[in-house]
Amino acid sequence: MQSLKSNYFQLFNLPQSCEIDQEALNDEYRKQQGEVHPDRFANAEEHEKLRALQLSSYLNEAYETIKSPLRRAAYLLALHDIDVEKVDQNDLSMDLLLEQIQLREKLDELPKDESALADLDMLRAEVISKLERQENRFAEFFVVANYEDAKKVYHELQFLNKLRNEIDAGEELRLGY
Amino acid sequence: MALLQIQEPGGKQAKPLHRLAVGIDLGTTNSLVSTSCGLRVETLPDSEGEHLLPSVVHYRKDESPLVGFQAKALLVEDPLNTIASAKRLLGKSLAELKSQHGYLPFEFDNSRDDGAPAILTVAGSKDAIQVSADILSTLVSRAEASLKGALEGAVITVPAYFNDAQRQQTKDAAQLAGLNVLRLLNEPTAAAVAYGLDSEDQGNVIVFDLGGGTFDVSLLSLKRGVFEVLATGGDTNLGGDDVDHVIADWIASQMSESTGIEIPSQARLLQLANEAKHQLSDQKVATISSEAWSVKLEESTLKELTADLVRRTITSCRRVLRDAKLAVSDIDNIVMVGGSTRMPLVRDAVAEFYGKAPLTNIDPDKVVAIGAGIQADVLIGNKSADSFLLLDVNPLSLGIETMGELVEKIIPRNTTIPVAKAQEFTTFKDGQTVMTLHVVQGERELVSDCRSLAKFELREIPSMVAGAAKIRVTFQVDADGLLSVSAEELSTGKKAEIQVKPSYGLESSIIEGMLQDSHSNAQSDMETRSIKEAQLDATQLLDAIANALRVDGELLSEAEVGTLAESIKKLESIMANGSSVQIHAATEELNQVSSEFAAKRMDLHIANALRGESIDAVEKQAD
Repeated sequence: MQSLKSNYFQLFNLPQSCEIDQEALNDEYRKQQGEVHPDRFANAEEHEKLRALQLSSYLNEAYETIKSPLRRAAYLLALHDIDVEKVDQNDLSMDLLLEQIQLREKLDELPKDESALADLDMLRAEVISKLERQENRFAEFFVVANYEDAKKVYHELQFLNKLRNEIDAGEELRLGY
Repeated sequence: MALLQIQEPGGKQAKPLHRLAVGIDLGTTNSLVSTSCGLRVETLPDSEGEHLLPSVVHYRKDESPLVGFQAKALLVEDPLNTIASAKRLLGKSLAELKSQHGYLPFEFDNSRDDGAPAILTVAGSKDAIQVSADILSTLVSRAEASLKGALEGAVITVPAYFNDAQRQQTKDAAQLAGLNVLRLLNEPTAAAVAYGLDSEDQGNVIVFDLGGGTFDVSLLSLKRGVFEVLATGGDTNLGGDDVDHVIADWIASQMSESTGIEIPSQARLLQLANEAKHQLSDQKVATISSEAWSVKLEESTLKELTADLVRRTITSCRRVLRDAKLAVSDIDNIVMVGGSTRMPLVRDAVAEFYGKAPLTNIDPDKVVAIGAGIQADVLIGNKSADSFLLLDVNPLSLGIETMGELVEKIIPRNTTIPVAKAQEFTTFKDGQTVMTLHVVQGERELVSDCRSLAKFELREIPSMVAGAAKIRVTFQVDADGLLSVSAEELSTGKKAEIQVKPSYGLESSIIEGMLQDSHSNAQSDMETRSIKEAQLDATQLLDAIANALRVDGELLSEAEVGTLAESIKKLESIMANGSSVQIHAATEELNQVSSEFAAKRMDLHIANALRGESIDAVEKQAD
């Protein structure tokens, strides 16, 4: 494992890109975790234990970031000095907001019992296909170094992701989990 | 330089140094100890040949305590000095305990400052840590006698749902028993370890653990020697005892239908029920007889009686799949743990849900101890470093209280540990120099619905306007699932930190309840949250305007002050009981009305600053 300062992509020997080889990531993560995990140092000196804790935590954070398409997108932008936490109102188009309102209304109008499950599945499928489309758009802008537009697409991804989580929560609610 | 090994000519090759380490299943009812005996890991019997050690301790005056079967035999005779199920007391306060269990057959020590339950015995006051330590010591002596040497380390298993306090107290008990704890291991994970190595499995594994009183289900991913816990779930009030109860009720109702039968005591009914349950493990029909009366219990009847209990286990199975975002078809193996999984109807229900038969070839009572023994062997260094690794998750979300009694989750549940996450917070009031950090555990959005773990303060924050200070709060959870929290003010580097060691933990049924609540209340939480956030925004604006008026009020005409006052009044009244949308609208209106004032202030202050006078000085004059 390389130093704590290295970039997450380099850490996993992956090219710095929007699309990643998930299998290669998993393999590399497991291999490195096998080297730095505190369990490998259960019998070691205190300072070695502490170092293992830090390296292993760092590796987990890096892995979670690269694995999730949304977090990966934010990270890629951050590597190009774009802070996604700073939301410019102009980044959010009226079309995007209207679409979000419509999708949310659809979700809110569904009955609050099991009869809504099929509709929830349909709504989720719709959101997932939108997510995939936006992930592709993000990649298109990113590849040509158009980070401003990539950032706008990132915010769309954020909205859609949140909506997807709410659909999942709504489903659990109706299944009585 | 490596040391040379001196070998007798023609003699056997010197054995590599084997370090003694054990795995311990510290159970509620029974405990076991296991160790590596050459190629296999096996549980160790006592001198009588018994592998299970009842988790019961009997205290005596001026004599060492009795542990195990001898103690269990004295439960009825001397209940005040005989302690069973001490594991249920770990990490709990006396108050919690009394509210949950009602009558307890002990005299408690009320002089404890920490509120922990301690039982008064002839050998003095004993808390759950001491009782657990006595059980552990007995297992250590057994292992040392059998292995003929001192132990260098142990892996101790804990339920997946054990919280921070319960894990910490388990570690404390081990320390008291003089044990070096290599790792606390989740019980279901240990079971998967036992099967993982024996059968060299790859893929996704469900561990279905139905014990006497609790149910746990975990989903693990196994790949190239790495075990990764993807999700855990369960029900802390579900187990074989519930089956005994429904059978006992059924027997009583059968008896009341026949005339001239006197229904025996509940204890006797439960004994009959338990016998019938065991008969049905390998027969289709059980015969229950009490004196001259007898009745037959068919498997199909038992299936009807337990339908609801079994359905509850399957609901938890579904939930764990959802948490891991996997489908039934993604599951490659199901491991059965706990004596209650010997019931064919449980195995059938599990097989039906997952569409494949569960693994049952390791004794379900020993499988956890065996897994712990395997892990102990690896951690002590007897196995090479490229052997398997275990990645665990934290079972409950960890967060911090923010303004408005809301919880900001820092580490969501089912995050792989160890993990460190940092988040930046800021001050809420102008000139705020102290920030209280309140660490909570749970899934709900309001602090009052979560469990408070610890509170500490970061002091000497430099005085700044609200929102200017940057305080980075870092949560670190180690591989045992124990949390520490630190806070740092970034401009000065001022730090405060705490190792979270609450005096007692959560009742596990409370954890379960908290998980369920978080889902059923998600909707109402969200509206409450938006109202609280809107109220917060409004308060901040009102504070800022009040402050500005105090300092620079003379910049405004009487009419302007009047308009402003009107908007303030309006916002204040809406804030109290308006919806989030109404509060937002009123806040926005006040913002508009006050923007002229803000511009005038800005001009004045810039002018002052240009004159070489600090803004601070201007404000002081105005005061």
